[in-house]
Amino acid sequence: MTVNLADLPKGHEFAETRFELTPEWAAEYRAAVEDQTNAPADLPPLALAAFSIRALLHQGALPEGAIHVSQELNFLNRGEMGGSAVARARVASRGERQGWVLMGIELAIEDEDGKSMMSGRATITFPAEGRTQEVGA
Amino acid sequence: MQQTRDARTYRVGDELPAVTETLTQEKIDRYADASGDHNPLHIDAAYAATTQFGGTIAHGMLVLAYLSEMMTASFGASWAGSGALKVRFRGAARPGDTVTAAGRVIKIDGEKMVCEVECRNQNGEVLISGEASVRVS
Repeated sequence: MTVNLADLPKGHEFAETRFELTPEWAAEYRAAVEDQTNAPADLPPLALAAFSIRALLHQGALPEGAIHVSQELNFLNRGEMGGSAVARARVASRGERQGWVLMGIELAIEDEDGKSMMSGRATITFPAEGRTQEVGA
Repeated sequence: MQQTRDARTYRVGDELPAVTETLTQEKIDRYADASGDHNPLHIDAAYAATTQFGGTIAHGMLVLAYLSEMMTASFGASWAGSGALKVRFRGAARPGDTVTAAGRVIKIDGEKMVCEVECRNQNGEVLISGEASVRVS
């Protein structure tokens, strides 16, 4: 079920999402960002972040007018192509000032053995009285 | 593009090899498909024209990917295995913009190298700024 992120309180945990690190998706991502630094067998590190955000967007629609304010990412282990990963996210902070909500969302990705691959935090802002977008971020 | 230099030879003040990409709506659409982020602000010109941006803008994570590409070109596999990034999104990148990701080493603490990083458009406007660090051994 898709909910509006604007309705989520601090502490809300998104459902854990498992995904496959397929060569096809990695190739699609690499073509989209025109990254030629990684060998075809490697996963660009930012692809993991894109994966987790994609999983998040399946669960929560962004409020209209949402803006990505900042991003923190820690790459802990390289992804193994062909393996699977689990993404977790939660609303780590939420505040309101002058009609705008500032929300921090923590992200974590582990491999199939429970080894941390990436952690991070995205901060977004949106109007406190914003309407819901039916589609992603 | 592969790693251009032995990362251990970087010194404080050294510039990282810049990455320059020109954005098009087609590239933004391609990233939307790869990332699953179909926010109309990025892909629907009619909708985007009604927003504060007056037109479509690129996903922040797409522009950030250019910065990550620069870090991979500078530090190779170390970036994917030990990199950390903390940035703020300061401006919007639009179709037609030429984005340059650049960086400079500002601190070396043992194996840890800290870089000031940023993305600017063709007018010199800052789109992203922040710090990236990586362990180089």
